Amino acid sequence: MMSSGEIWLTVAGLTLVTIVTRNAFLVLGHKVALPERVQHALRYAPACALVALIVPEVALQSGTLALGFGNPKLIASVVAAATLLLTRRAVAAIALGMLAFTLIRLL
Amino acid sequence: MTGRSVFGTDPTVAAVRREAFLRGARAAGPALVATSIWGLVTGVAMIKTGLTTAQALAMTLFVYAGSAQIAALPLIAADAPVWVALLTATVVNLRFVIFSATLWPYFGRMPLKRRLVLGYITGDISLALFMARYGYTPAAQRGNTEQIWYFLGICCATWLSWQPMSIIGILLAGLIPGQWGLEFAAILALIAITVPMFHGRPAVAGCLTAGVVAVLAAALPLKLGLVLAVIAGVAVAMAADVFAERNTKGRAA
Repeated sequence: MMSSGEIWLTVAGLTLVTIVTRNAFLVLGHKVALPERVQHALRYAPACALVALIVPEVALQSGTLALGFGNPKLIASVVAAATLLLTRRAVAAIALGMLAFTLIRLL
Repeated sequence: MTGRSVFGTDPTVAAVRREAFLRGARAAGPALVATSIWGLVTGVAMIKTGLTTAQALAMTLFVYAGSAQIAALPLIAADAPVWVALLTATVVNLRFVIFSATLWPYFGRMPLKRRLVLGYITGDISLALFMARYGYTPAAQRGNTEQIWYFLGICCATWLSWQPMSIIGILLAGLIPGQWGLEFAAILALIAITVPMFHGRPAVAGCLTAGVVAVLAAALPLKLGLVLAVIAGVAVAMAADVFAERNTKGRAA
């Protein structure tokens, strides 16, 4: 565990890191002319980022790929995605996904 | 009247701004389930790592970047050097540089102070919702009043769903048992936001690539896999876009 001082330093550093990364282009963008094609392609960035955050959490079990029925997170994610496609209700998808996740782990 | 001071004194302009702001806030509606759960989970995780209430509150209010916070926590617990924690968070946050480039055509000409505020409040979900609505705006119409206030509406709703829930998580962490698997509810909430974004072949190709690269590169140090996955996904989506364009032009000729 870090010392209290180190934690405060980390919190301050994280604040700075977030400010710099989130504003990088908004502040300096006029100095780097982005080609129109790249500007167009960037509209896919948010979806790609979300997928890149989700997939390793769901498909990996302690670092190894687990694409079978033995992976409760994978099954529950499929249940949630299917519920969303069928009902278009986010809350129902999360609830059924959690239900599947809990049941599989208990059984 | 608070409404007047927030949206400006000119009644016509204020009406446009208020309308766009409320529309943005409403568009954020379903995603707020996700941000609330994520906020709660992040709040709980900070306390379970061993941060004091003051440290956790400072982190949620000043940093306001869930994935970077969660990436830094195990390093804090393991007494890693501060610079390693910061470098890891920087790499996790590199996708925000890409997001910042995404927003620049829209908001790059605003006064510096406002751009800094927009930067602070831009998260994964707010950008995703904004681009879903205005991603296809022609270059000349990007960044008009309506778009700015729509974006502000999304971001304010997101902030207001994240922060109180994160603070509740910080204050009630002791009451929430780990076996509930609340972290996984946060992942399911992200899935619920992401699935509707698989629109059209370029998006699907890009997302598939991002998913595969994220898994293949998961073992890389400093969470480098995340930013590699985003870059690869965007590159493939762009290639698919070019390919689709050529195909339609070929057919037209």
